[in-house]
Amino acid sequence: MKIRILTILIFVFTCFSCDEYLDLRPPNGTVRQDFWKTKEDVQAAVIGIYSEMVGNASFTERLFMYGELRGDMVIPGQNASDNQIFLNTTNILPTNALTEWSMFYRTINFCNTVIDLAPAVLNEDPTLEEEQLENYLSEALAIRAYLYLTLAKTFKDVPLKLEATLNDTDNFQLPTTPQEEVFRQVAEDLSLAEEYAVEEYETIPENKGRITKYAINAMQTEVFLWLNDFDNALIAANKIIDSGNFELIPASNSWFGTVYGEGNSSESIFELQYSNQNLNSFINVFFQRAEYRASAVAVSDVFGIDQQNPENQDIRGERVSIVSSGAEIYKFIGLNRDQRKTTTTSDTHWFFYRYADVLLMKAEALNELNRGEEAIAIIEEIRTLREALELTAQTPAANDPSSIAEYILAERSRELAFEGKRWFDVLRFARRDNYARLDLILTMALSSAPPSQQQSIRNKLQDPNSHYLPINQNELFTNKQLVQNPFYN
Amino acid sequence: MKKLNIKTGLQGLVLLILSITLFNCSVDKYKESTDETVNATEYLKLNEEEYSMFLELLEVTGYASFLNTYGTYTLFLPTNDAVESYLNTAGVSSPADLPIEDLQDLVKLHILESKVITTDFNDGKIATPTMQGQYLVTGASNQGGSSSIIVNKESRIVSSNIEVGNGIIHVIDKVLPIAKLSLAQQVETQESLSIFTSALKATGWYDILDKPVTYDQDSISSHLSLIAQTNEAFERAGFSSYEELEERYSHLGQPTNPEDSLNLYVAYRILPGLKYVADLVNSPTHSTEAPQEVIGIKLAQDSVLINEQTFDGVLEKGVLLNRDQSDVTTTNGVLHLVKNNFDIKKRFPTPVYFDPGDQPEIRRLASVFRIPGQSASFAKEDLQFVDWEGDDEIMYRVDTPGGGTYGHGYWADVMQIKRLRDGYVNNIEFTTPVIIKGRYKIWVSYRAAPNASPNVQVFFNDEELSRQLNFTEYGNTTQPERVLESQGYKIPVSPQTNRFNSRLLGIVEVETTGRHKIRFNAVTNAGQETWIDVIEFRPIEMDQIYPRFSPTGLVEQ
Repeated sequence: MKIRILTILIFVFTCFSCDEYLDLRPPNGTVRQDFWKTKEDVQAAVIGIYSEMVGNASFTERLFMYGELRGDMVIPGQNASDNQIFLNTTNILPTNALTEWSMFYRTINFCNTVIDLAPAVLNEDPTLEEEQLENYLSEALAIRAYLYLTLAKTFKDVPLKLEATLNDTDNFQLPTTPQEEVFRQVAEDLSLAEEYAVEEYETIPENKGRITKYAINAMQTEVFLWLNDFDNALIAANKIIDSGNFELIPASNSWFGTVYGEGNSSESIFELQYSNQNLNSFINVFFQRAEYRASAVAVSDVFGIDQQNPENQDIRGERVSIVSSGAEIYKFIGLNRDQRKTTTTSDTHWFFYRYADVLLMKAEALNELNRGEEAIAIIEEIRTLREALELTAQTPAANDPSSIAEYILAERSRELAFEGKRWFDVLRFARRDNYARLDLILTMALSSAPPSQQQSIRNKLQDPNSHYLPINQNELFTNKQLVQNPFYN
Repeated sequence: MKKLNIKTGLQGLVLLILSITLFNCSVDKYKESTDETVNATEYLKLNEEEYSMFLELLEVTGYASFLNTYGTYTLFLPTNDAVESYLNTAGVSSPADLPIEDLQDLVKLHILESKVITTDFNDGKIATPTMQGQYLVTGASNQGGSSSIIVNKESRIVSSNIEVGNGIIHVIDKVLPIAKLSLAQQVETQESLSIFTSALKATGWYDILDKPVTYDQDSISSHLSLIAQTNEAFERAGFSSYEELEERYSHLGQPTNPEDSLNLYVAYRILPGLKYVADLVNSPTHSTEAPQEVIGIKLAQDSVLINEQTFDGVLEKGVLLNRDQSDVTTTNGVLHLVKNNFDIKKRFPTPVYFDPGDQPEIRRLASVFRIPGQSASFAKEDLQFVDWEGDDEIMYRVDTPGGGTYGHGYWADVMQIKRLRDGYVNNIEFTTPVIIKGRYKIWVSYRAAPNASPNVQVFFNDEELSRQLNFTEYGNTTQPERVLESQGYKIPVSPQTNRFNSRLLGIVEVETTGRHKIRFNAVTNAGQETWIDVIEFRPIEMDQIYPRFSPTGLVEQ
């Protein structure tokens, strides 16, 4: 009797029970073996890259900090953290949490995964066309290139990981790759991406929010400028300009609302699409619990003030970039020139590239190619449309590249105020020809340094290594191949 | 049979369990400490190949054990090379050859009794003194293209912020030098300061600058800061010898007399307290040993200018501080050098019509500042020269000149405090423009309002003025103006209107030329806005009614 029951029990257990109990696959997720089967999977993975950037609130804030806190137009607000203040005063230690780069590498890994695994889907799903696959690959390649460009601009030499990390046996101990090589890899990736890319999607938000050929060209222009390859920078910029798809919108009271408040305007090339489902923290960090404020330079010098006729204004200044009373950074929180957005409507996009940026990068390339006259013409064209004040006009001679460079920089500070570009712009100009214009960085630092620290800051910045952030201490602990930037020893 | 089998099986099982439990676990070793970070001395021992020399110093002086106790220390740790080159310079081969007291002082100069990391450094002294008593000065320098943080101008920090159990270690490549000379001696040893030295000696200040540091009952030190000038600077000002200097300045012929101008000339260059350049630039004025005289400091880019100010609309050029040769630490103070001669500014009291809306941050708003119909709100941190209790904002407002609510006032603008009372905005303090020392009557002109703050105490440099201010009191346009004046009232504006009133709050002795503080403190409730137009400082001998204020400036009617 007992034996019979036992036999039945054993039978029952072995036949019906263990199927799920012994299954190692996660019950609430998809594993790789089940994914990467259809074209929808590829699409989901690509869109996932964008959601990663939109979803991580501190991603764009980090881009803002790297580009602006070390420049002269932003100062820490009353709610700024010590780490932010230290970034602003060139007082950076490897323990500063703002030097953590993991969020960048996380997104890079998403890109790597698509690049590694998507091609095999061609064999699995016959409805996935070769061209469609290439389009997807172009998006992953371009975003990865942009992230490496940002990392190399910020940290100088960084580990270059180009294969997906798929399991624990992968080698995480990667040494850094020299900055120059990272830039070259970026350029190479971008040229492949350009080959694969689409010119247009079906809707405007997609055109502005996903990688198009033009977004890639904008990135190319920038990376070639960093590589001092001005011919190629010019070629890339001209591709955008010649397409005729973009324009500068004439000045009007609604200009701010169109370009910034709403976004995706005809001035825009590539923007990160925040929306009412994906809000950002801009209203918080720029206004309600302000972590950043406009510096005195940004308030009074950058756009100029016409003392005789205060109504005469650069359209990029008051109630666009800044609100001078309160030294508020307005660009990312205004709905239009009169109203701010609120916590529940804070959806201003992050502007990776706008048309004016490309025009000014073209001017930069032209100037370096000794075509000063054409460079000045571009600046003047922008200034006329933006109703820039006489006060901020400069009159460099066409054969004086150094003065023209200063003019371009000044115009970039007006046009791209607070868009995460300032520090990198000055750095890029300063480091050319073996740091021939180091003075640009030193002067910029003096204008915003606290009086009691300015001498130290000035002397620190004379060391080019100090222009890049240290590798965070935690990274050094976990990756023994990394070598710290010598300035931070 | 079957039963028996089960039994032996059970026994076997029991045996097995017993053997596992009894013999298996005995060799496990647990870590008993929670933290393995070593203390400072221990850290040196672990890294002997680099730091054995300093360790030896610690042991010779007997400080090795206390640097291994728990606490919060900062150790500036010279490498072996650094200590060796120090010994070489001193001409000895081993630390034992040096007097023990000197070594103790030297070691104590490398230790602070609090944790200071490099982000706390600025261009001046570290806030905590060393255990030796002298302060360390930090900065950064660039050599051969690479920059590093430096201590006492010469020692480069080669490895910073090493965390040990009882504090922080910064490794330096050069032993920190102890200052051995007093301010007076430091000046005397420099050939290029010979005229200045003679002046110090003749006036008797030499002895004061030679005294060791003492501390008073509030533990405030007697450190002094001296701004000296070179013979070359004297020459540029037309003095080629001390005699010529004495000839020019010593009007009583008794340089030791504190009232003699030469004595004052020297005293004006001595500042109480230990003020490195980084401390100087942090405040616009600094008092000097010359009674009631202050020097002004202005930072233009990275140049430090002494006594540069705009006075009465005229820019008075300042004198450059020689930054490279300043910040010389001595036993009892710090020495700075200036590039040119400068004098005490001799001035007579002049009226100051302080428009509280005339703040640099508001002036910057060209579309608001004195533009009819405009206004702007400011939080505390927006205005560097205004401060108050409470988180609410204050407002700058401009009305139609000669009309509207407050358009009759000076420049047609007012500072509006929504409720001047506790819990809103109270104890509001303005930093005045530069007022020359002398006796002044303080008047406050305001736009009266029925429910504004009725009882407001006014403090000048924290001293309460004799009268209180009642912002609800309207002006009296019927009484003769001189009668009114004798009662401490006047109509401040022209054309006259009873909406604006001015109250004499008291007479003050402004003791130093410089910027001062005036504070308003409401003691009762307020149900309406308070509008302040002008705060007047009129020298007592001056006419107290004219000039009056108009929307376009001052008028004599």
